[in-house]
Amino acid sequence: MHVMEGFLPLQWAVFWWVVALPCLGYGVYQLKKVLEADREALPLLGVVGGFIFILSSLKLPSVTGSCSHPTGTGLSAVCFGPWITSVVCAIVLLFQSLFLAHGGLSTLGANLVSMGIVGPLIGWGIYRLLRNTKVNMYLTVFLAVALADIFTYVTTSLELALAYPAEVGGFVSSLVLFLGIFALTQVPLAVIEGIILTLVFKYIVALKPDILVRLNVFPEEKIRAAQSEA
Amino acid sequence: MYEELLEDIAQTNGLREVNTYLKLATGLGAILLCLLSRSFVAPLYIAAVLTIAILFLARVDPKTYGELFIIPLWFGIMSVVAIILVSGGGEVYWSWNPASWFSLSVTSVSISEGFFIFCRVIGGMSALMFIALTTPMTDLFVVMKQCRIPEAVIDLAMMIYRSIFILMNQLVQTYQAQVMRLGYGSFRESIRSFAILCGSVFIASWEAGEDFIRAMDARCYSGKFVVLGENRPIEAVPALALAAFLITSSLVVVISGSTTLL
Repeated sequence: MHVMEGFLPLQWAVFWWVVALPCLGYGVYQLKKVLEADREALPLLGVVGGFIFILSSLKLPSVTGSCSHPTGTGLSAVCFGPWITSVVCAIVLLFQSLFLAHGGLSTLGANLVSMGIVGPLIGWGIYRLLRNTKVNMYLTVFLAVALADIFTYVTTSLELALAYPAEVGGFVSSLVLFLGIFALTQVPLAVIEGIILTLVFKYIVALKPDILVRLNVFPEEKIRAAQSEA
Repeated sequence: MYEELLEDIAQTNGLREVNTYLKLATGLGAILLCLLSRSFVAPLYIAAVLTIAILFLARVDPKTYGELFIIPLWFGIMSVVAIILVSGGGEVYWSWNPASWFSLSVTSVSISEGFFIFCRVIGGMSALMFIALTTPMTDLFVVMKQCRIPEAVIDLAMMIYRSIFILMNQLVQTYQAQVMRLGYGSFRESIRSFAILCGSVFIASWEAGEDFIRAMDARCYSGKFVVLGENRPIEAVPALALAAFLITSSLVVVISGSTTLL
């Protein structure tokens, strides 16, 4: 769930915009470079953005009875890297606030930092660490997706705790409370998102592995081997 | 399963023909005033005026409009309860101190603070809804172009916009077919079906992207889109209404000062 409009005081809304903008700028720079190198990239990135939007407008089946939205950013970070994901995410967040009334405009900066920058960076980092090791390909995808999801919510808790520190214990005890509310309830949902996107990944490996080979997500022999098993 | 897109409403709303900048100024001005206000009065005033505008000028169905608030308010209430528990000051009604560094309490000041933030969320959400329900995305692309947002970003935004509707159709068809075959009967089954649904939409979207390239190549695509957009002229009545709204809201912000609930 995104931080919605009006929740953050003005100074914090501005602060997170200031944090987000340089990352976004770097993402736009990378995007331009990719588009110049490969003119076919634009429509593909466009459908990936549409895919993230659709995914995050779906309600995930969940054990607790509450509902949550998959973030979908982990898979995009694995396929396209974290910076381009942040640009796609910025557009998706804008559309979400204007199409579905999720999130907001003044809080877009804060949401971008949690969902578009920190989450994908963590997911991508895990994937880079494990990509060339012997760790199972599906386990890598699972960890990248689930941790990207959890850290999105940890960052959201951090943003809320910074804006509203507790009277006793200040920032830390406020963070404990927000982490308890958002991040802990998110753990089972992150695991479910991890399982689902790993199954999605497996499905892509089985039916259309050339996408993954072209994006160089994993070494080709690994994908081919997985395909013959699937 | 999936939620109604506000875009469909925006394309046919009663304020569709009003100049885009006027509508954006209304929404963004209201958001800024909500954030500047130190009291709960101004956000409530802004929410009331904009809700009237949405229901009577833009003629949005009241039930649809009300349902839009449910999800954000749920998140809002949870977070506001947390803020009431951690902040303090004033008369103490209830408190709990499990550790020296951690203490929860409900006090008069914390209730006022929580109520103020809750009102600010309602004010901000109604301003956001005003933009979402009256301004179609296609009009915003024109504004983005005039604001010198990098072309690559606008092109990408338009591609995403276009693909959302294609994928949504595909998704609905697949989902309905799965439901018909009892694909969501048990928890285990629904995880499997959901993954297949996402996977098939991903592959379908990839193929749609490749079709896009072929279709655009056939029409001499040079790597740039042309946005043909005209903005409607600024008319006197909406402009005056905007000015009146912003002036009265600013007055409410100033006069209410830092009035609190308790």
